[in-house]
Amino acid sequence: MPITEVPNLAPALPEIFLGLAAMSLLMLGVFQNTTGPDGVMKASRLTSGLGIVMLVLAMVLVVTVSGDRLLTFDGLFVSDPFASFVKVLILIASTFSLILAEDWMEKQGCHRFEYVIVILFATLGMMMMVSANNMLSLYMGLELQSLSLYILAAFQRDDMRSTEAGVKYFVLGALASGMLLYGMSLVYGFSGTTDFDALAALFAGGTEPAAGLIIGLVFIIAGLTFKVSGVPFHMWTPDVYEGAPTPVTAFFSVAPKVAALALFIRVMNGPFGDLASQWQQIIIAISVASMLLGGFAAIAQTNIKRMMAYSSIGHVGYALIGLAVANETGVRAILVYLTIYVFMNIGTFACIMAMRRSDRAVENIGDLAGLAKTHPAMAAAMAVFMFSMAGIPPLAGFIGKLYIFLAAVEAGFMMLAIIGVLASVVSAYYYLRIIKIMYFDKPVTTPLETPIPKRIVGVLVITSIFVLAFVVFPNPVINAAGVAASALFSG
Amino acid sequence: MIEAIVFLPLVGFALVGLLAFVDPGTDTPEAKAKKHKIDFASQWITSGSLLLSMVLSWVVFNDVALEGNAYTVQLMTWIQSGDLELNWAFKVDTLTAVMLVVVTTVSAMVHVYSIGYMHHDPDVPRFMAYLSLFTFAMLMLVTADNLVQLFFGWEGVGLASYLLIGFWYTKPSANAAAIKAFVVNRVGDFGFVLGILACYVIFDTVNLDQIFARAGEMTQVNISIFSGEFHAITVICLLLFIGAMGKSAQLGLHTWLPDAMEGPTPVSALIHAATMVTAGIFMVVRMSPLFEYSDLALQVVAIVGASTAIFAATVACTQFDIKRVIAYSTCSQLGYMFFAIGVSAYNAAIFHLMTHAFFKALLFLGAGSVIHAMSDEQDMRKMGGIWKSIPVTYTLMWIGSLALVGIWPFAGFYSKDIVLEAAWAAHTLVGDYAFWLGITAAFLTAFYSWRLIIMSFHGSPRADETVMAHVHESPKIMIAPLFVLAFGACFAGLVGYGWFVGDGAGVFWANSILILPEHTAMVDAHHVPMWVKYLPLVVGVAGITLAYVMYMFAPNLPQMVVNAIRPVHKFVFNKWYFDELYDAMFVRPAFMAGKGFWKTGDGAIIDGMGPDGVASTADDTARRVAALQSGYLYHYAFSMLIGVVLMVSWYLFTHAG
Amino acid sequence: MIEALVFYMFALTAIASGVMVVVSRNPVHSVLFLIVAFFNAAGLFVLLGAEFLAMILVVVYVGAVAVLFLFVVMMLDVNQVELRQGFLQYLPIGGVIGGILTFELLFIVGAWQFQPDVSAAIAAAAPPPDQVTNTQALGSLIYTRFAYLFQAAGAILLVAMIGAIALTHRKRPGVKKQKIADQIAREDSIELKKVETGRGI
Repeated sequence: MPITEVPNLAPALPEIFLGLAAMSLLMLGVFQNTTGPDGVMKASRLTSGLGIVMLVLAMVLVVTVSGDRLLTFDGLFVSDPFASFVKVLILIASTFSLILAEDWMEKQGCHRFEYVIVILFATLGMMMMVSANNMLSLYMGLELQSLSLYILAAFQRDDMRSTEAGVKYFVLGALASGMLLYGMSLVYGFSGTTDFDALAALFAGGTEPAAGLIIGLVFIIAGLTFKVSGVPFHMWTPDVYEGAPTPVTAFFSVAPKVAALALFIRVMNGPFGDLASQWQQIIIAISVASMLLGGFAAIAQTNIKRMMAYSSIGHVGYALIGLAVANETGVRAILVYLTIYVFMNIGTFACIMAMRRSDRAVENIGDLAGLAKTHPAMAAAMAVFMFSMAGIPPLAGFIGKLYIFLAAVEAGFMMLAIIGVLASVVSAYYYLRIIKIMYFDKPVTTPLETPIPKRIVGVLVITSIFVLAFVVFPNPVINAAGVAASALFSG
Repeated sequence: MIEAIVFLPLVGFALVGLLAFVDPGTDTPEAKAKKHKIDFASQWITSGSLLLSMVLSWVVFNDVALEGNAYTVQLMTWIQSGDLELNWAFKVDTLTAVMLVVVTTVSAMVHVYSIGYMHHDPDVPRFMAYLSLFTFAMLMLVTADNLVQLFFGWEGVGLASYLLIGFWYTKPSANAAAIKAFVVNRVGDFGFVLGILACYVIFDTVNLDQIFARAGEMTQVNISIFSGEFHAITVICLLLFIGAMGKSAQLGLHTWLPDAMEGPTPVSALIHAATMVTAGIFMVVRMSPLFEYSDLALQVVAIVGASTAIFAATVACTQFDIKRVIAYSTCSQLGYMFFAIGVSAYNAAIFHLMTHAFFKALLFLGAGSVIHAMSDEQDMRKMGGIWKSIPVTYTLMWIGSLALVGIWPFAGFYSKDIVLEAAWAAHTLVGDYAFWLGITAAFLTAFYSWRLIIMSFHGSPRADETVMAHVHESPKIMIAPLFVLAFGACFAGLVGYGWFVGDGAGVFWANSILILPEHTAMVDAHHVPMWVKYLPLVVGVAGITLAYVMYMFAPNLPQMVVNAIRPVHKFVFNKWYFDELYDAMFVRPAFMAGKGFWKTGDGAIIDGMGPDGVASTADDTARRVAALQSGYLYHYAFSMLIGVVLMVSWYLFTHAG
Repeated sequence: MIEALVFYMFALTAIASGVMVVVSRNPVHSVLFLIVAFFNAAGLFVLLGAEFLAMILVVVYVGAVAVLFLFVVMMLDVNQVELRQGFLQYLPIGGVIGGILTFELLFIVGAWQFQPDVSAAIAAAAPPPDQVTNTQALGSLIYTRFAYLFQAAGAILLVAMIGAIALTHRKRPGVKKQKIADQIAREDSIELKKVETGRGI
């Protein structure tokens, strides 16, 4: 048996770096002296600060290695502009949620350095997901991410709701993983390969796929739909979002969502791209159901985190429109949409994390009453995010929706676009309700705590500037998304 | 340089706009001192940036207009979508340079003047910020190199105008006036937007240079609207002109301008005399390479302009509110400019625009000084006999009025004469119409100007004693800008004549306006009979004399005249019943229709089945959907299983089956 | 012939014990049936020639996982009656859904229609079985072609460990821990006594 040559590590440099960074930080955290009065806090702050630095460095590496399509590890791993774009987005989301988390965790008394480590591993898993070029590497990345997320959901271990969220997420996630694996094994059984390129080549000639293979694909779709929390695999979302600690919810609502959607895009358009006519209908059904359920169910919520859960289900519905059209314009639209979504959501969660009253985090929508009088700047920022989420021009959210709907119309899915527009009208109901509560309702109890921590203010400023100014400078994002999308379809 | 000119006011606006949010507190000495500090900072930040911008504008004027170095600055790409490519860019040619000078100079003067005029106001930073915002928008408008950027500036000035007219938002009349200005302008904007779209349809671009380059080829092209074929350029020009009519308060869409006098007086001087209302003129002149190819559009412009000139002049003769008189005067002078455009005398129009900006701003600010002196009284019937108390203001008002009437050697003499001469020299039916109405209007202009001066300053005092005791000259900070403007009102005509319309015009304007060789009015204007040259001056003097006779020497005469021609006077006094007409035609039917739709259509039918119905259905659905969320793990898992089964079954039925 | 018989024996036993895991009344029995199922699956692996996997299955799943399950189940206080009620309540609808799914999968998978060149693809994936042993083949693949996945699996296990510790490990005050060095070094714990001969202690 010949000794195989060392694989080209360069394309995977960001992942390798992040993995090593996470392990080094783990060592650092473990061997910190935590016996002092605030030793735990010191260790947590140190790792958190370093973690942010590591994520930013990883981002720099991603940008450095991005370029042509490169395969490595025997075709298991692919680095292309699509992966780079999504990775940057994931890293931005992770960085923001780490920045926001530390302060909140300290106030809740559940600051421990493991949080940072697990976030880093989750991020690593996501990056592996979007770079997967084989069912096996897909599954490995997905599991690394999922396992980290289960831990994060239960991280506030003395809180009943948090542990419940963790357990629910874990059990249902395991079920979804099972479905995904079952689907993969069916695909492997009927096609004899798990490699994406080989699968794509199999269907390239327009050959009719075996029925078993399509059933495998259906199971894979089910598993992935769970990960992006699309209807009808969304049931975990509201409970987990509500139960998990708020910084974790913030993280859940952006990074894994982006990663899972990107993975969804790659799997559907890569190996199964030529079977689009087989899966389009399913995606459309999921998309429509998600948009409608996200829109309607959010109306009845009183907990803002729960509302955001339904909101995210709705947003996934919109994003899936871009997947359903199965072409380059659609993918570009999703990427633009996701970029905007990340910033809007981070901003909104920054506001939610600033909601504290008499030293306790509060999360009822009613707690926002009269915010415009007590915290005018925060209310204004929140209003910007809500308007943007509702898709009101000229804010960024509008542009995201515009691209999605344009892609649908261009591909001839008129009905889908119309349903999308109607669903966004429904969703405007609950977004605008928040604004109404902030600006027109009388505050019932004592005002929320002041001052807002500096980190939250910083994040709010950055995200709201992004949301406001996107209409003026949309080109960098749109061009990058265009390059990323075309990379997926040319290779 | 040009970037600095345009963005300095924006910076000023941003800084001072933030200052406006600082709450100094109430009623303590510290709070007052703090407010004073904030006000001081906001006044000088904005005025300083504007003064700097003004100086730079003069430099640019020298470079571009006199040295002939026109250029375009590309800032960045704004929108790129398919064939449509829009840039943020500054097109700086002679026309722009002239507008830059006019806008920044008048604006700087108004900023400085406002320091004095508004110093009692509780909202100084907000006011100064709005003024700077306006100036920025106006500068974007005049430097636009494509129609969409022009529209950006166009809407920007509209917004600033709305904010400033309604500046004293506790006054219901100010709010109503602000809304009226916005809505009437919207009618015009609708035309403008359609014009831009038509341009894009025909030329495939909204970039000005590209449009102009291809205008000559497109003279035979037709555009089909509602299945009728129309001459494309004429359609575009008429639509654009509708936009210009709204902004420049031409007959039909003029009703907002007099009401806009509800705003503070510096606003009237800046926006509603010197700059924003001339945006329409500027836009049409800017589009001269299109208008030149459409005789019909030019004729419409001339007729509307001449009609506005005479209409507004008659109304101005009957009004008693000092600012309204000047507002109608502005309306009338804008009419002059438009009929100059109508006979292809674009440079004469801009010349008059420039001189008018100086003397009309002077008149407004002077009127503001009078109002200030009279403790905020605006009714001329309650003034009189104050000329000795405020001699400086009095003199400045004289200068402004002389310039407005067009007495040699003041600025208006040169510009108004050339406008009228060009109308005569056009030798067309429309030209003659414009000329004779213009002459009549010139007579009326002289009459109402001196009616204003005599009623406000002379005669026996008609105000009560407390007011009279308080009559005082305005502070230096308010008088100084007036001198600058008065200087312009005296010499702008004399200095500018050679460049704008005289022998040097060809070199001066370079390529910024286009006059086809067959449109000879401008050339022939220099060779008209003697009587045409002197007629405006003669009627001006006659008008002044008549005013003296009626208001100075025979104070009973006006009432007798009014009685003699009561129906006519009533008609004119009520501004030709435009407001009533619009009220009856549009506003009340709209209100009635609105009420009908509201009570029966909306309340009963749509609300019942629509929002209320939909809302309750939505709420209901929401509750049901949320109820699905039982919280039990096995329910969730089961629903996932059902999802998979549904998906697999669906596939089996549609594909395999 | 014998091979077929053995296959059906293992397969049927596996399915039967799978059913028993679900239906048996006593959770301890359930776990024991699970172990039976594992053994039978290992048997199936041996029949396929995958002896390494079979042994690993027995060692890991039976030796570690199932025993752990057994401990957990024995420690938990599971209310038998309640569990039963839920089972009966959801049996009809669960049965229907499960039935439909089973039918569909049989229908599809039973058609047994492969992509055309599947056998070639499978053959290319692994070295010929008659030349290398199971263990050798797996080893040479895991550490070369699939090194990436191997490392990823390592990361997953690390995260699992971190998670387990982070979520459950606490420092409790007042817990006495064994400190061997201290215990040995204790002064008064050891006393040397001179024992006189012939006297006993």
